Amino acid sequence: MEEVRIGVYVCNCGTNIAKVVDCDAICASLSKMPNVAVARTYKYMCSTPGQEMIVEDIRKNNLNRVVVAACSPRMHERTFRKALQTAGINPYFFEMANIREQCSWVHENEETATAKAEALTRAAILRVAHHEPLENLYADMCPSTLVLGGGIAGLSAALELAESGHPVFLVEKTDRLGGNLARVDLTAPHLYSARDLLTDRIARVRANPYVQLMLESELKSLSGFVGNFTAIVGAAKKNGDPHKEHVLEVGSVVVCTGYKEFDAGRVTHFGYGKLPNVVTSFEFEKMLREGNIRTKEGRIPEYFAIVHCVGSRSRDFHGYCSRVCCMTALKYAHEIKSAIPNSYVSDLYIDMHAFGKGHEDFYRGSSEAKTLFLMYGKNEHPVIKRAQPGEESEMLIEVNEQLSGETIEIPADMVILMVGMEARSESGDVARLVNISQDKDGWYIESHPKLDPVATTTEGIFIAGTCAAPKDIPDTVAQARAAAARILGRIAKQKIEIDAVFAEVDEDLCSGCRVCNSLCPYSAVEFDEEKKRSRVNSALCKACGACVAACPSCAIKARHFTDRQIFAQIEGVLR
Amino acid sequence: MPIRVNPKLVNEIERYGAEDVSKCYHCGNCSAVCPHSTQPFVFPRAPMRLLQMGFESKLQNSLEPWLCYYCGQCSEQCPRDAEPGETMMSLRRWLISRYDFTGLSRLFYRSWKAELGALLIMAVLTGVGFLLWGFTHGDIRSYDGPNAFLASSAVHIFDWTMAVVLTLFLTANCVRMWWFTVAGRKDISVPLLSYLRGVYLIPLHFFTQKRYAECGHKTSWAVHMVLMASYVTMFVLIMFFLHAVQAGPEINWNVHIFGYLATAGLIGACIVMLRARVKKDHVWSERSHASDWMFLVLLLYVSVTGILQHILHRSGLGMAANITYVCHMMGVVPMLLIEVPFSKWAHMAYRPLAMFFADLTAEALLAKEKKPSGLSSPQLAEIG
Repeated sequence: MEEVRIGVYVCNCGTNIAKVVDCDAICASLSKMPNVAVARTYKYMCSTPGQEMIVEDIRKNNLNRVVVAACSPRMHERTFRKALQTAGINPYFFEMANIREQCSWVHENEETATAKAEALTRAAILRVAHHEPLENLYADMCPSTLVLGGGIAGLSAALELAESGHPVFLVEKTDRLGGNLARVDLTAPHLYSARDLLTDRIARVRANPYVQLMLESELKSLSGFVGNFTAIVGAAKKNGDPHKEHVLEVGSVVVCTGYKEFDAGRVTHFGYGKLPNVVTSFEFEKMLREGNIRTKEGRIPEYFAIVHCVGSRSRDFHGYCSRVCCMTALKYAHEIKSAIPNSYVSDLYIDMHAFGKGHEDFYRGSSEAKTLFLMYGKNEHPVIKRAQPGEESEMLIEVNEQLSGETIEIPADMVILMVGMEARSESGDVARLVNISQDKDGWYIESHPKLDPVATTTEGIFIAGTCAAPKDIPDTVAQARAAAARILGRIAKQKIEIDAVFAEVDEDLCSGCRVCNSLCPYSAVEFDEEKKRSRVNSALCKACGACVAACPSCAIKARHFTDRQIFAQIEGVLR
Repeated sequence: MPIRVNPKLVNEIERYGAEDVSKCYHCGNCSAVCPHSTQPFVFPRAPMRLLQMGFESKLQNSLEPWLCYYCGQCSEQCPRDAEPGETMMSLRRWLISRYDFTGLSRLFYRSWKAELGALLIMAVLTGVGFLLWGFTHGDIRSYDGPNAFLASSAVHIFDWTMAVVLTLFLTANCVRMWWFTVAGRKDISVPLLSYLRGVYLIPLHFFTQKRYAECGHKTSWAVHMVLMASYVTMFVLIMFFLHAVQAGPEINWNVHIFGYLATAGLIGACIVMLRARVKKDHVWSERSHASDWMFLVLLLYVSVTGILQHILHRSGLGMAANITYVCHMMGVVPMLLIEVPFSKWAHMAYRPLAMFFADLTAEALLAKEKKPSGLSSPQLAEIG
């Protein structure tokens, strides 16, 4: 066997590490260890000169292992592996010791911190000697995509993919496209007609030969892994006409299943369902689309009241903000004033969330149009009741108004409840089918809320639009197209790269007890009924090690986390 | 009991000048920057809120608009251009119309045509009346002496009659103001002694306008002071020394020097104020209500014709002096009868009164705070 020659690099990280840990002392001490050919300190190992130092040492001193004692491997493991690759050796011949997050940032005593840093680095040196060269695996990437949901998100994702020349299966549960947006009249703040936004996209989707539209259908099952999913799509349950199920081969799935509106009947003090002219925002949208704003009795209302945060930002219902209601309410104020110029609009809000581009101007415009903004307290609520006969209005709303500190009474002939968004009742079923998770409110969880907002923890499954959280049309469309862009990138590569670190079952040792099968959080362990042995699907495996630890026969080995490597590391710490 | 919101009031106030009150979103920067906004009179935000919500009786009972002198700092830094300064100005106009029991003020403020029409009718009636009186009682060529066209003794009686009528109107309106802002309030009670102790505030604020000086714009305060002092001087001269003022043809310096100074003050101040309104070079002069223009133009007209008839008389041009005198009175009578009780000039009375009432209110509120609530002492001990 080739002689092990290790290069050890202790990073100062400016003063982040060096002000607590004596890097030079560690270097001097560790350079005496067997197999250590080079030991150096440097101000910033992650900088270009730092990386070049490693590359040069590998070439000059024939190093075949590298240890960097610096920050967390989450931060720079990739950087240094790349340096090894540049120098021509396998990137897995690298080990990182975290002496910043786990040492200098959390300790004050320089002596003990230095001792700990040295122990951690020593462990890495002993471990790296046992590293094996590993290669990434590749799988084919199926260029077809399954899009779940025919709302504005699904339409946008499908168009982006299909117009790039890749097949899309667009599955919609109902018998029409457009989703919730199709129920809307104008959109805030530009007052574009929702119908115009949709019809163009629907027409393009219907005309595109790459889109296979599957209305009144839903996903029945999904198996496989990124690039190689098999989906079964059948008739939506309520249809009752079970036509043939389709088996689809797809590489990716975009979940665009949207939201459902909050049921205003759950809030008793608004009298929804009892008072005829207390309507929800969607019921009012319908009046707007029909161009006929009238009370149930057929009169044209004079006093309007819009109540924000119905079901949202409340202790009793949903704690979150539904994001679109504030601007939609302002849009109503605008549409009411232009339809009935002599009307009076009161807008009862908790906080006005005018966060987006053009929203603040829109808010200002509503004020200029003499909308009366009235603020009520969070977790308080306006009470709507019928007015006495002979009053100027049909209803009166009593509320504790925050900006004046007075308990007030607002005349109203029509009350519009701004119902918030909530996760669909069937969102849990979809989550189980595609193996993604939901938060406490039922929204799908993204891979990273900031840096990876459309991917999920399951490779190849993307989420876009309001199934992930309440959001407006621009954000929904941006997410849908972002998901499509991620998929197009993979399709362009034609291959799916599978990380070299995964668990492997030694078939000779496996007893077929299947303990590991149900344990795997990623459903990566399959059971081969013929051989009566378990098998790990390397594309699904995240190398968590649960199966390795659980296997009673020690038949499962995790690549890059072998027993020898772990024991050597422990020995290094304890020595 | 909840207070009923009246979203129609903002439309009503718009006629008085406040066009932008709906834009206010209650950040409160205006109240923070206002040098006069202190507890318990915090403004302009609070009155703007009352206005937006249409709390008419609360507004009618409020003194805050009178405590503002429109330095304009609030409007300058308003993020929404809601013009709090102009709103306070408009509220003062609205309050004048509220204090006025005849309803004429409301009519004039809401319609410039009505105000102008009333001024013109008064002017014509005055002109006709004085000409009829002159031709039946004297000679148009003679200004003073036994055959005077308009004898100062007769004019003197006329002036005093008018003063009594005006005082009656104004007093009635001031009593209404007192009732709205102090006496009618159920939440406070002001003892008689407080009235006696604080009454000096009325002349103090009338003659010094010291709160205006605290606004930070000394020039506008000074111009305002000159106008007010000149007006008061002229008022005293006419009401008490009319004989000496009119007697000629020689110049009676003991009396006339005051007249010249007052005239110079009136004309100068009017020109400065009109110029500011034309140039719109300050926040407070950017927007002018029709009533502002009418008042200033009328005052300038009266001052110019006043000094002109004096000069013509001293130059021996008796007829020209008499005609100018009639023209002068055609300005004076409408100005006094319309502007003093029913329009802008009324603020001369309401402002110092408001300072007095504000002091009384603040004292009463403080006393109420200090006084233990209706709870008996054992109950208080329990709470304690």
